[in-house]
Amino acid sequence: MRALLNKLYDGCAALAAASMVALLITILLGIVDRYIKLNIKGTDAYAGYFMAGAGFLALAHTLKRGEHIRVTLLLQAMRPALRRKFELLALVIATSLAGLFFFFALRFTYQSYTLHDVSTSLDASPLWIPQIVMVVGTFALLIAFIDELVMYAKGGAENATSELIRSE
Amino acid sequence: MDLTITFLLIGVLFALLAGGVWIGLTLAGVAWVGMQFFAGKPAGDAMINTIWGASSSWTLTALPLFVWMGEILFRTRLSEDMFKGLAPWLDKLPGRLLHTNVVGCAIFAAVSGSSAATCATIGKMTLPELKKRGYPEDKIIGTLAGAGTLGLLIPPSIIMIVYGVTANVSISKLFIAGIFPGIMLAALFSGYIIFWALMNPEKVPASQRTYSFAEKIYESRHLIPVILLIIAVLGSIYAGIATATEAAAVGVVGALVLSKIQGSLNWPTFRESLIGATRLYCMIALILCGAAFLTLSMGYLGLPRALAEFIIGLQLGKFGLVVMLMVFYIILGCFLDGISMVVLTMGVILPTVEAAGIDLIWFGIFIVLVVEMAQITPPVGFNLFVLQGMTGKQITYIAKATLPMFYLMVVAVLLVYFIPGIITWLPQNMKL
Repeated sequence: MRALLNKLYDGCAALAAASMVALLITILLGIVDRYIKLNIKGTDAYAGYFMAGAGFLALAHTLKRGEHIRVTLLLQAMRPALRRKFELLALVIATSLAGLFFFFALRFTYQSYTLHDVSTSLDASPLWIPQIVMVVGTFALLIAFIDELVMYAKGGAENATSELIRSE
Repeated sequence: MDLTITFLLIGVLFALLAGGVWIGLTLAGVAWVGMQFFAGKPAGDAMINTIWGASSSWTLTALPLFVWMGEILFRTRLSEDMFKGLAPWLDKLPGRLLHTNVVGCAIFAAVSGSSAATCATIGKMTLPELKKRGYPEDKIIGTLAGAGTLGLLIPPSIIMIVYGVTANVSISKLFIAGIFPGIMLAALFSGYIIFWALMNPEKVPASQRTYSFAEKIYESRHLIPVILLIIAVLGSIYAGIATATEAAAVGVVGALVLSKIQGSLNWPTFRESLIGATRLYCMIALILCGAAFLTLSMGYLGLPRALAEFIIGLQLGKFGLVVMLMVFYIILGCFLDGISMVVLTMGVILPTVEAAGIDLIWFGIFIVLVVEMAQITPPVGFNLFVLQGMTGKQITYIAKATLPMFYLMVVAVLLVYFIPGIITWLPQNMKL
């Protein structure tokens, strides 16, 4: 089970990193295209899709590494028993929100598929294809939150909360 | 719309944030509840639509790329080279090598979009070198923490991209507008060091060696890589041949080339910089998504308009409004990080600012300055965390050492208020 979950997080993260590289290449192609006509249309839109891929697919992995930020000031000041209650509550709320997020992402993408939603940019691609990253990413995030919640409820280690340093 | 409900929602928002719920999710969750139950709109589809729009918008693509560039440069020997190149020149100024903190950060800020990254990269070199030479530690730490914030003000700047996207202002113009204020703030920091050194000459260690002019020039060769990178990234924006996004892509390639030439590029460092940047971007993206939806939801509830009417009704005048906002952001900055602070408040505050007749480019730089202050105010200040990690000192000690820099930033805000041309002259006089 653990191995399977880690595969899900890491697999998504690898795809997210690949999206980042694809984002770079797309924008570079856009620059080159201005000087030598390559006839690639809609690089701007593709860059946006790859950025969405990098963001959504990394959600679960980033959570597991404790790099999604939150305010821990009050939690740190609490007595351990009280802190535990608050940590659990925060996890329950976050898990529900991740669930909401996934549900609507799934429905939204399914609707763009059935309604044949097409990008209004030059690329004119069917939108459900890039939107899949949102469904997969939010699904992995939901699983990661459930995973954290179960681990914490079972009395596992402090869930990941390290404050990120190179963020801004 | 009943304002009590809005204020109730804001109360819930801060309760959830304080309770440790992840920031991005909290923003989206409160927005969803507000829209679904109090604005009477089916909120789920609006939420996902907004989130998809925000996370796939072309204007934002500069952000992940600048983050990546910073992660690559952090893993090079760039800071070491900059110290070697700068030290001979700065050794003659009162305060000597303390200026390497300020000048180093100012130069590195021109290739980095982040204040904490600037602080960490320059500090990696100056902290041990200056300590070894016997400079007083509080001055080393204070000037570094202060100067590190230049990473935000001197373009490229992550926070300017976030503001530009949120406020719908040209990112290139913001980048150009940040130059003079950045140089001015660096000059204020250096001026402080000179003043302090003249007052306390006994605390500044003696020079270890003198360089002839030819030697200084020769040592400056270490600065060539970073200067080439600045020219490639910012030069292309200022010359009007590249957008901020394209400049960021050029910057990533430039940083990779630089890292290759220095011999610090290999598979593990490439991998680490890539995955590190992806996580960092993902963290920011989640907050941006939540904030985009919160802005929409608050708009439905009528909060920005009500607030604008309320504040205009107070008859504060422009100066009163600016001072009030500065105090508000300094307080908020004690608890929130800069990006959350900007995205959380912009949707609500921008209508007021526009109604008061404040230029949005000017306001963008003002916001960057107050966010810089937030970086060095305890208990939550990222530069303080960075330095805590690097020096092992108590955060209170670091904050105290940094306090003079905080005052200098307040001076900087007042200066740009009374002489707005520092910000607006350059963007108005450059063709974009």
